[in-house]
Amino acid sequence: MPGELSRAAAIVGAAEANEIGYPETPKTALQLHIEAIKNVSEQTGIPISKIDGIFSAGWSSQIAEHLGLHPKYIDTTSVGGCSFEMHVHHALAAIHAGIIDIALVTHGENGWSQRATGGRGTGRARGMDPWDPGSLFSNPYGVSGAPSNYSHAMTRHNHRWGSTPEDFAHIAVVTRQWAMLNPRAIMFSKETNPGGGPITVEDVNNARLVSWPLTLLHCCLVTDHGGAVLIAKPEIAKSLKTKPVWIAGAGENMSHSNMLEMEDFTATSAAASSAAAYKMAGMGPEDMEMAMLYDSFTVTAGITAEMLGLAPRGEGFRLWKDGHAAPGGKFPINTNGGGLSFNHSGMYGMQLLVEAYRQLSGTAEDGGYSGLPGKQTKARSCVVNGTGGSLSTTGTLVLVAD
Amino acid sequence: MAYNKPIPEPDPLNKVFWEGAKAGKLMLPRCTSCNRVHWYPRIICPHCHAREIEWIEGSGVGYIHTFAVQHRAFGGWAEEVPFVTAYIDLQEGDRMFTVLRGVDPTKPESIQIGAKVKVEFEQANDDVAIPFWRVV
Ligand SMILES: [Zn+2]
Repeated sequence: MPGELSRAAAIVGAAEANEIGYPETPKTALQLHIEAIKNVSEQTGIPISKIDGIFSAGWSSQIAEHLGLHPKYIDTTSVGGCSFEMHVHHALAAIHAGIIDIALVTHGENGWSQRATGGRGTGRARGMDPWDPGSLFSNPYGVSGAPSNYSHAMTRHNHRWGSTPEDFAHIAVVTRQWAMLNPRAIMFSKETNPGGGPITVEDVNNARLVSWPLTLLHCCLVTDHGGAVLIAKPEIAKSLKTKPVWIAGAGENMSHSNMLEMEDFTATSAAASSAAAYKMAGMGPEDMEMAMLYDSFTVTAGITAEMLGLAPRGEGFRLWKDGHAAPGGKFPINTNGGGLSFNHSGMYGMQLLVEAYRQLSGTAEDGGYSGLPGKQTKARSCVVNGTGGSLSTTGTLVLVAD
Repeated sequence: MAYNKPIPEPDPLNKVFWEGAKAGKLMLPRCTSCNRVHWYPRIICPHCHAREIEWIEGSGVGYIHTFAVQHRAFGGWAEEVPFVTAYIDLQEGDRMFTVLRGVDPTKPESIQIGAKVKVEFEQANDDVAIPFWRVV
C-alpha cells in the first residue's frame, strides 16, 4: 500500500544551464542557477512568477531575490550532494500539505570555473571554524577533500567483504560506456577531452594514485553545472506540455557528519532513506527498472547499490562487473555517464534528478539548450539516491513514469 | 625545524585534553551516567544524552580500523606524501583519526587492519601537542 504522500506531486520539467562542464569563459554559480531556471521555465511553460516554493542548497534567499519572487516556502537545506533529493522530498510534503503548488529545486556550482576566478563567484563563505569539534581532531592530519576520506571506506570494504579495487574499477569502466553515449559528458570522446573515450580496468588500476586505493579514475570529475527542476501538484502536472514523472516515494536520513562518527565504513544511511522511500511508494528494489546512484567515487556507487537492496551486502560492484548496469544490460545505472565521466560540480544530486527526469519522461534524446542528446532507455521506474558529505547523508527517491 | 603542518587551536571546552597532550597523556571524555567513552569530545553524551562527562586518562592503545595512503595533500603535508592516514579503534571504545607512523606508505598491502597501535605526541608549538599513532 503506497503511503499518503506517494504521487502527491510530480517532477514536470528538468533543465540544465546553457553551458556545463568546462566552459571556456568562467561562470559564476549564480549564472548557472539562473540559466537553468530560465530553461526549465521555458521547457514546461510555467512562468517563473508562478513558482511559490524555492528549494536550494544554501541559495534560496539570494535566488528568490534575484528573480523578484516572494515565495511562500523557503528551504535551503545544504547537507552535501544529496540535498537536492531531500529538496524533492520536502517539496512533496509542502505541496501535499497545500502550502504551495509549484516548487523550484535549483542548483548552480562553478566547480571548474572557480579555478580561473580564484574562488570568486561560488557564493560560498570560505574557511572553516577552527573550533568546529570534528575539524579540530581531523584537520591536523593532512586530509584534503573528499577523495582522502572516501579511500578509507574502500579499504574497509575490501577487508570486510573480500572485494578488491579492481572490482570497483568496473564501475568506472561501465559508467564511461554510458558517457560515450552522451555528448554532454566531459569524457564523451577523445575529441571532447584527451582523457575521454573508452577505458579498461587496467587503465583505472594504473591511473595516478590520489588516495590509495583510489586512483584518479575511481574519482569523479570537477566541473561546472547548473540544473533546475520544477515540481507541481497533480492538477497542474497533468495540464502541462511536458510529461509528469511521479514522485512515488521519498526518504532521507544520515549517519554522521564527520567521518570520525561513521560506525560502519561499508554502509550508509541509504539503507534507511531507501526503506522510507520504498515504503511510501509501496514498491521495492525488485520493482525498479534503472537506478541513478551518486558516484562521487566508484566506492560510493558500489556501497549504495547494496544499501538500496539492488545487490547483496559486499557485492554491489557485481551489477557493473557482470554487465547488468551497462548500456544494453538488464538494469541500467547512471545512464548519463555519472559523476565519474559526465559531470560533477561538487554536489551531484541535481545531475541525478535531471537524468532521471529525462529517462522517465522519454526525453533523454532531447538536446535541450545545448542541442546535445543522450541515450534513452526503456525504464519506467527509477530509484535515485544522493549521498552527501563523507558518506554522511542520503536522500532516496522512487520515481515512476506516467 | 618548526612544525609546518596545520596546528589545532585549542578550544576552551577541551582544555583538559590539550593540557593532557602536552604532558604526554591521552585524555578521553567518558559519560558518568552510561560509562561509555566517546570521541570527538562532546558537551552532551552522544549515547545517553547525559551532560555529566568526566575526563579519564586513556591507555593510549588502539587498533587500526581502516586506512588509506594519501598521495595528494596541501601545505606542510604536501612535503610528506605519500603518508598513511588511519582510523583507530580505541581500546576504551570509539575511534580517532590520525596519520599513522611506523608503516611503509609505499607498501600498503603490508599494513594490517586490526594491528595494534600506540599513541605518541608531537609538540607542534609551545601550547599544542598533537597525538599520532604508531604501529607497535
Ligand atoms: Zn552517556
